[in-house]
Amino acid sequence: MRKTAELIEENNEKRGLLNHDNEKVYEDILLYLRTDLRIDEHAGEEILMDLLDHLVEAQEDGKSAKELFGESPQKYADELIENLPSENRRNVLWFSASQVIGLTGWFAATFGVISLVVSFFRPVDNGIALGNLLLMLLSVILVAVIGVTVIFKIVRSSVFQKDKKKWQAYVKAGLYGAGAFACVALIAWLFEDFGPVIKLEWWIFLLIGLVFLAVNKLMDKRGA
Amino acid sequence: MALRSQLLKGVLDACVMAVVEEQPVYGYELSQKLQGIGLPDISDGTIYPVLLRLQKNGFIRGEMRPSASGPNRKYYFLTDEGKAELDQISAEWLEIAKPVSQLLKRGGENEENS
Repeated sequence: MRKTAELIEENNEKRGLLNHDNEKVYEDILLYLRTDLRIDEHAGEEILMDLLDHLVEAQEDGKSAKELFGESPQKYADELIENLPSENRRNVLWFSASQVIGLTGWFAATFGVISLVVSFFRPVDNGIALGNLLLMLLSVILVAVIGVTVIFKIVRSSVFQKDKKKWQAYVKAGLYGAGAFACVALIAWLFEDFGPVIKLEWWIFLLIGLVFLAVNKLMDKRGA
Repeated sequence: MALRSQLLKGVLDACVMAVVEEQPVYGYELSQKLQGIGLPDISDGTIYPVLLRLQKNGFIRGEMRPSASGPNRKYYFLTDEGKAELDQISAEWLEIAKPVSQLLKRGGENEENS
């Protein structure tokens, strides 16, 4: 069985074979399916590959995407989604855990590098309050989860709309993302340090970060 | 073509399974074969929701294979459950097909009786 990542990569390459009009319709369907978090990702990518293969062959026979997907691509995509298996909980949990670990890794590694750079200019206080750290992590995770859900929803609602409407949706999604990060910054600013303070050198943060990122990569590769 | 009616869904399921039983096919081949049989409306895209539904029910399964034209394609095979389901639908269909088409022809008998 082909891995999901391989399917995605093959899909990226094969889409280049489509002509402009067919590619547009196909990419709408692709975006609509991929942003539906309820469906089994592997099964979704498999049907996307089937459709792409079909469209490429149909194109060679002089047929258009309209003949394949009908007058309403959205209705067609909904029909596909209705018949696709749903993502199992284990996968969702595994994926979420992997994302949290990855996010924490970036967080720690970036912090380490910044401390190093800053230490060239002035002495840095490497003490970090554990209470704050936890609060920050939790709020980042929460904002990320809500953010992804809302942004996907906005994008999904505009997939099959005209380009102007799409644009509006992307601006809206972008603003939402910016607002979400402002919330995290606000939380960080509002709360005084609390909890036990630990003092770690910059390279320890970097090391922890890199280890977390490696674990994240391994988890993504292995899959649940 | 919207396949709202349960009847059409069932019939289409059976048609797809019958083609797959004869010989494992991939999506594009399947649509060509259905068109060849003379079912133009349920041709291209309509088969994919059907294929997904049949897979979900365990009546068919997909397997990657190199195709005649070269690249790998997902070929669909009929499973044992699918075979049993197809036998059952075929038996039921053959029982009702003749009387129902007689009944629904309504006045068109003259051309059809030959």
